[in-house]
Amino acid sequence: MQLTHLNTRGEANMVDVGDKHETRREAVASGRVLMQPETLKLLSDGELPKGDVIATARIAGIQAAKRTHELIPLCHSLALSKVSIEFDIDPAQGCVHVTALCRLNGRTGVEMEALTAVSVACLTLYDMCKAVDKDMCIDAVQLESKRGGVRGDYQRSARPQAPIVTGEGTAGEVTLGERCASPCVRVKFLAELRERVGVSDTVLDLDQVPSRDIAGLKAALSQRDTRFSMLTDQRTLCAINQVMANDSARITDEDEVAFFPPVTGG
Amino acid sequence: MNIQVRIQSAPFSLGDGYASTLAQRTDIGAVVSFTGLVRDFNESPDVTGLTLEHYPGMTERTLEQIGEQAWQRWSLQAVYIVHRVGYLAPGDPIVRVLVASAHRREAFEACDFIMDFLKTQAPFWKKEHSTQGEYWVKERATDWQDAERWA
Repeated sequence: MQLTHLNTRGEANMVDVGDKHETRREAVASGRVLMQPETLKLLSDGELPKGDVIATARIAGIQAAKRTHELIPLCHSLALSKVSIEFDIDPAQGCVHVTALCRLNGRTGVEMEALTAVSVACLTLYDMCKAVDKDMCIDAVQLESKRGGVRGDYQRSARPQAPIVTGEGTAGEVTLGERCASPCVRVKFLAELRERVGVSDTVLDLDQVPSRDIAGLKAALSQRDTRFSMLTDQRTLCAINQVMANDSARITDEDEVAFFPPVTGG
Repeated sequence: MNIQVRIQSAPFSLGDGYASTLAQRTDIGAVVSFTGLVRDFNESPDVTGLTLEHYPGMTERTLEQIGEQAWQRWSLQAVYIVHRVGYLAPGDPIVRVLVASAHRREAFEACDFIMDFLKTQAPFWKKEHSTQGEYWVKERATDWQDAERWA
């Protein structure tokens, strides 16, 4: 990846966009101003000393978008076709969400304009409310999406919090967990199969299994709950103590049996 | 046998494995590496990321066995396999296989072999996130055809 704002000597460089084709460009940016609940209430009731906060911040954001090239050194001046700023007062999170959309038909992207609009709208909210609340915090100014241009579209995605990993085992070990009182097997369901049966782990008493092999285990599970009948699907794979196994493979006390779909790594 | 296997959620660089493989050695004549990346299109046109699940323990053992099979089949000097798990974004590296040998042909073939078996044997599962929602990736017949070339 090359930074286009630097030339081959690493010096600042305004990109020549004269040869680029004009395309429809659009960018959405967002940010928020965290504030005290009392400030938020004054704001929504229109009782702040400086007057209509939201209307002023909206105009400030639109003006800022138009003047982005004056603030950011290597930005081109753009004839924007549309700038809109939305405010969402959120008492639950104790903040005002600010969203800016910028659009034009042109040769360069408008994400800097959208980010500048959000930043200045947030600063204006701060200025209008600072008489009653000095603890406000401007936070999470970011690009949400952009469309058009050779580098393609971008959409911010919500990252899942934690990776899905089952089992406690480390390399070369078999997870055993606590011992059962009577002979039993531990059964794991992985990946899509776990989501379809709705359970990740279960323990089965070996005395409930009609035959002490994988086929018997499947039969015992199906009897317990009809959802487990999908284990007899041809493409469901099975491992005993982390070694691939088929229906006739024997199971013994304390075994770990895993059922999973065909693998899709790499 | 000099076979290293790593499963990690942290990113790795495109040079990962070179230094540890080549350190203190002058008998290696060829290093072939393959790096797999997350594409932004697959089963759906707008993939925004994917989550990789594995079966801790079995996954490491399976990758070691695939490395051992390659070791027995070709004359190799080092095998290094790293595979990521957890959340990955488009453009992120997922897997890297590095094979060192005295001569290039063996390194090329062994690297190809390891990837074909990793795709069809190693317990990893991909869940793709797209603008249309999320879904588990289906197995591909072409991956199995690729692996059968080595039978």
